[in-house]
Formats: sequence, C-alpha cells, structure tokens
Amino acid sequence: MGVAKLIESGALRPLKGSVIDNTTDCSLPFVALNDPKFRLSVDTAQPVRLVVVATESMQGSVEIELAAHSSLSLVVWLAADSYLSVSVKQAEGSQCDSFVSVVSSSDATFNFDLNGVEASNRFNAIFVANGSDHAKIALTTRHNVSDCKSNSLIKGVAMDRATGEFRGLVYVAPDAQRTDAQQQNRNIELDNSHIVALPQLEIYADDVRCSHGSTVGYADEQALFYMRQRGLDMATARRLQIEGFIEDVVGRCNLEPICCLVRESVNNKLSTI
Amino acid sequence: MLKIENLHASVGDKEILRGINLEVKPGEVHAIMGPNGSGKSTLASVIAGNEKFTVTQGSVSFMGEDLLDLPIEERSRKGLFIGFQYPVEIPGVSMANFMKIAVNEQRKYKGLEPLTAAQFLKMMREKSAIVELDPKLTSRAVNEGFSGGEKKKNEIFQMAMLEPKLSILDETDSGLDIDALRIVATGVTRLKREDNATVVITHYQRLLDYIVPDYVHILYKGQIIYSGDKSLALKLEKEGYDWLINDYKE
Repeated sequence: MGVAKLIESGALRPLKGSVIDNTTDCSLPFVALNDPKFRLSVDTAQPVRLVVVATESMQGSVEIELAAHSSLSLVVWLAADSYLSVSVKQAEGSQCDSFVSVVSSSDATFNFDLNGVEASNRFNAIFVANGSDHAKIALTTRHNVSDCKSNSLIKGVAMDRATGEFRGLVYVAPDAQRTDAQQQNRNIELDNSHIVALPQLEIYADDVRCSHGSTVGYADEQALFYMRQRGLDMATARRLQIEGFIEDVVGRCNLEPICCLVRESVNNKLSTI
Repeated sequence: MLKIENLHASVGDKEILRGINLEVKPGEVHAIMGPNGSGKSTLASVIAGNEKFTVTQGSVSFMGEDLLDLPIEERSRKGLFIGFQYPVEIPGVSMANFMKIAVNEQRKYKGLEPLTAAQFLKMMREKSAIVELDPKLTSRAVNEGFSGGEKKKNEIFQMAMLEPKLSILDETDSGLDIDALRIVATGVTRLKREDNATVVITHYQRLLDYIVPDYVHILYKGQIIYSGDKSLALKLEKEGYDWLINDYKE
C-alpha cells in the first residue's frame, strides 16, 4: 500500500526504539506499521508526529508517555480489520492531538490520562462502516488533575448491514477543578445499518466546563433532492453528502500524505453505495 | 418545449393541482402568479419530480418526451432547471466540486468529454460574473452560511453553469433587497436565448419590471384561472386578486 512508498520516498520514517528525546531528529513523522505492541516515551520540546497504520489485520497496543511540555501529533489509520488499544499518559503542559480514521471492521480503544496540570488533548475521529462491518471507537478521557483541556469530535457513518459504535467517557476527578472538556459525536445511519452511541460524563469536581452531545441522523432527503435536480444520480448524491459530512474531521488530519490515503480509503468504502 | 395537460397532483389525500394546462415554447418567458396556497410551488415541485407529490391525472411532456416517467436527475440532464425558493445547504461539499460533478454529468449525458480543470475554472469565473457572485463563495460549502441574497444569486449562477433549456424559478425574488433583485433579474435576462425558456413564479409585480414576461398566468386553487400579457401583472398590483377570484366559479 501507499505507506511503504511514503517511507521509501522519505515522507515518513519507521520508528526505532522506544524513546524520543532531544537527541532525536524529529523533522520527519515517525510511522509504526502493523506493529503488534509498542511503547514510546516522548521527552523533548520538539513537536513529535507519529503515524500508526494497520494495512493488514492486526491486534496491537500502543502505550505512550508524554513528558512535561512535550507535544505529540498522533495519526491512526485502521485500513484493515484490527483490534487496537492506545493509551496516552500526559504530564504537565503536554499536548496531544489525535486524528483517527477507522475504515474497516475494527475495534479501537483510546485512553487518555491527563495527569499534569494544563495538559491538553484534542481528538478527532471518523469511522465508516459498510457491508457487515462492525466499526467501534471507544474513548476515555480522564481529567485527573486541575486546569486541563480536552476537545473531542467523533463522526461516524454506517451503511448496508454494518454497525458503527461509539463509546465515550469523560471523567473529571474530584480535585480536577477548572476542567474544560468538550465531546461531540455525530452519526449517519443508512440502509439497514445500526449506530450505537454511548456518550458518558462522570464529573466529581464542581468548577468545570463540560459539554457533550451525540446525534444519530439519516440522509438529508432535501439535500439529495437538490443535488439530483442538478443532474447527480442518487448514488453520487449520497456519496457526496457523506464525504461532506466527514470532511471537516478529515480536514483536521494534519499530515497531508496520510490525509490523501484516508480520503482514498473512505472513497473506496463509499463506492459501494 | 413544455406541455402540461390537465395535471392533477396530491399530497396525501389533499388535491393541490386540479387540472393545470400550460404550454411553454422556446424563447418565451412566462410568469405564474397567484395568492398564497394556490399551488405555485407545488407545480414546480411536481415538474422537478419531488416524490412528496403524487400525480393522479394528466400529462407533462418536455422536449417531446413524457417527463413524469423520468427520474429527477434525468429531467435535469435533459435541460430542466429549478431555481429553489429555499436552496438547501450541503455541509462539507464545496460549491466548485458540486458544480464540477453536475456539469460533467450533464456533458456525459450529451456524449461530451468532461471539462478539464482549467476549462472548468474559466467557466466558473465567467458565469459567476453574470450574477456578480463573489468568486470566493465557490470554494465554500454549498449554500452554507450564505446570506439570503447570496443563496438566490447562487441559484442563478448554477443556472448559468448548466445552461438549461427550461428554467423554473420558484419565488427567486422572495427575501431579496432591491439591489439583489436587480442583479438576479439581470442575470436571468442575460441568460435568455432564442432556444431556451423561463417560467418565473412570483408574488410580486416588481420582479416583472426586470424580467418582462410574454405571458402572465394566474393560479388559483390548483387551476390556471386567467392568462394574459404583462399588463395583467400591473393590473393585479393595483387591484389585487379579488376581481379575478370573484369571477371564478368553482
């Protein structure tokens, strides 16, 4: 697939070892390709970019520790049926910005622990499930200390007989005052598919700003009619509508070559419409 | 070009169109006026193919073919364009991408090669100038966050891009300020040719100051109860619909 070519061409570099520190050259994004288990600690002020890719079926786990004031941009792309568990522990002032794309029958679990004050976490994810897929994203964001920020947006599409599932928990510990936690989940359910959405908030502190929302909708019939009146057939109109629905999330994948691969894999999924 | 004969259409149990007869020939401009609830927008919807309405009687032929048998998109590709009263927002789909697909679908239908990116961009620039549409809007999502005036200009922009044979403009003037009205109407007039036709559905005479109709039809309770030339619109502006409705016997 495309990723091997990206490594060859020098756009990505395979990750070696389990520590990234000030001596590491971070100019290129690192990639962990079909790696069943790895741990990584990031201890540098340089921004670090890491891509986790499953192009063939795998079961794996990723454990990451972010030292104080480090910054990680994490891109996960599950193009083949996989089971993946990601856990990130964030120290004071660290930043973690994730983009997750599940375009397969996969179960992806993310656990973020905000353990140091002023840590911030951004999570953007899509899943697209068709055929008899079961695509699942589970997200737990734990605000264990005060003054942390998290912002999550998850968009899902299920079609045919597929199931799309989102489980999201925002936990705010008793002393985690001045927490700012936002979580939004939007889904589209087509054909005979199912969306399962379970957003949860557990808040034990009182001075917090938390919001969450989850919706399940159907195709917008009026928009389909509008597009067909301009000459697009039903399938093209539906495809365009779904591409548009997830585009704002896909646009947040800040690694252009991976962004293209993600779009391509989403388009392949939608081509069955 | 368009021939409507004894058209009846219902939504649920309610009959809204009750025997419409109308013929539109190339080069003509028709205006359809009438009080609220008379069936003006329903007529446009039925011609477009909106499945909310059921045609119970009558026929509609377009370019010599039975229109009612065709799917929505084929009506469009054959040259039918509806300017919507409430243009729909399509989040995440850029105007340029949407139009590129629409124009190329139509070209494919006519057996033409798709436009190259350069040809398409040139076409967009030229056509957006006709309605003074800010070219920046074409890179934004379809109608999303557009003002009322921009949405209507955007309808006429799409009409210019698709070069339809027959355009039905459903209350394109509603919600427009006087400048936007002038721009939209001038755009429509500039797109007029010998071989195309326009039907404007409107409440107000003022649009017809700019788009001068050859015929004015009054729709009331699902029927065309009176047809005349442009002077009819002026008379209505002064005297209202009452004199016509009083004349009309159900």
